[in-house]
Amino acid sequence: MLCVRVLVLAAVLTTLSVCRAGAQSDSNYDDVKPVPLLTGSTGFISNFTGGQPDLHPIITPLVLVPLGGRWLFETRATFETDMVQVPGRSGFHGGTVQKEVEYAELDYIANPYMTVTVGRFLTPFGIFNERLYPVWIRNLQSDPLILPIGIGPSNASTGAMIRGGFKAHPKFNVNYAVYFSALSTVSHLDSDRFAGGRAGIFIPSARLEVGGSFQHGLQDARSNAFGFHFLWQPPALPLDVRSEYARSIQGSGYWAEAAYRLSQIPLHQNELRRTQVVARMQQYFVGENAADALRPTNTKVFEFGLNYYFMDGLKASTNYGRQFSDAGNANVWTMALTYRFVIPLGQTGSE
Amino acid sequence: MARRYTLVWTLGIMAALTLSAMAQEHANSAGSSSVAAPAPGAPTTREATHRSAMTTAAPDAVEERVMRLEGEKRFRTNCGRCHQPPHKFPPRVMAAAIRHMRVRAMITDEDMRLILKYMTQ
Repeated sequence: MLCVRVLVLAAVLTTLSVCRAGAQSDSNYDDVKPVPLLTGSTGFISNFTGGQPDLHPIITPLVLVPLGGRWLFETRATFETDMVQVPGRSGFHGGTVQKEVEYAELDYIANPYMTVTVGRFLTPFGIFNERLYPVWIRNLQSDPLILPIGIGPSNASTGAMIRGGFKAHPKFNVNYAVYFSALSTVSHLDSDRFAGGRAGIFIPSARLEVGGSFQHGLQDARSNAFGFHFLWQPPALPLDVRSEYARSIQGSGYWAEAAYRLSQIPLHQNELRRTQVVARMQQYFVGENAADALRPTNTKVFEFGLNYYFMDGLKASTNYGRQFSDAGNANVWTMALTYRFVIPLGQTGSE
Repeated sequence: MARRYTLVWTLGIMAALTLSAMAQEHANSAGSSSVAAPAPGAPTTREATHRSAMTTAAPDAVEERVMRLEGEKRFRTNCGRCHQPPHKFPPRVMAAAIRHMRVRAMITDEDMRLILKYMTQ
């Protein structure tokens, strides 16, 4: 309860300071007038888990509507289906197309240090859900085992959030997000009641970001969840290292991933600079209160992947994984083709 | 049999899209920027050109180029943390995208301005 009061008090104080700072801010977002966009990604993903094939087409449109100089309405939906083999019938057959509004939020850029968001937003717990989830961004198409921890049902929250980033020191930036989510039982728009925050420090010269997330549940067991994240891109190497740890009453675990672009190999430059090799190791431990979204047994997965970037936004991926769990071991193969699209909904010339 | 059918179907779609993309890229390649990101740490052609030009340009132009170079650096540092660098988009498209990324990736106001300047010039 104390945590909630502190969060509410912090929100009120910061909102007041926002109004004051916003009036004094010399920010000018009208240099170039933004145009509404229809963007997003589409993918065709084939999984073979334990020899069972599963075709998974997905399209995720994202609509961005800038309003004036400081407002932004953004919403993202997902349309996807799983096509599987049905005994006695040839070919693959899909069920109904699953439709979901992942988020629909209104952002107000109050000042250079703060943005206020209301509506339904992706829960900022860890980094994968908010920043790495789209199929065209992620290095491996499978979700991390710990992804459902801390992000609530449907991966989103319904409420309000204050977030931002600023240069706290000449050598590093700080980013933060504080949020409150209300209980919602509306189908496809459900969310839990909780409050939490995330903070990170980014050192541009080292291309290193470390941070942590905390969340306090305000219903049922009123339990806490916390996590840490780490991203590093060594300036001298085309290497991405990412890792997350999360723990809650439902379970805990971690994932660590390294992706290396072969651009420094002095052979077949045109092909190799577009090629990326990926490796990920992850482990999940079942907690006291099992959750449907999480694995029912302790699981360990090793994955190796290869990505090829044909052009901006178009990527072919394939990966192999070996899954070890108390329920049995299995091989997991994935092949995917993903594409990111950007369609302006207006004239695109400079103004 | 079904697995083979799946594989052939998937490979067929991938091949068609790949050929289409490569044809599109080939058509757009003249005068456009490189598809793949340069190796981190290595100066780009654009960067090298700017550096040589800076020695003879007027002070205002030098300042402008310095800002663009800084914008390119901030772009790689911030945006490259999560995804591959995209092609440049028209200014109004980029302005909308950068506002979205300002909120989503929590990049600083200063970084946003420099990246927008770099991506729109």
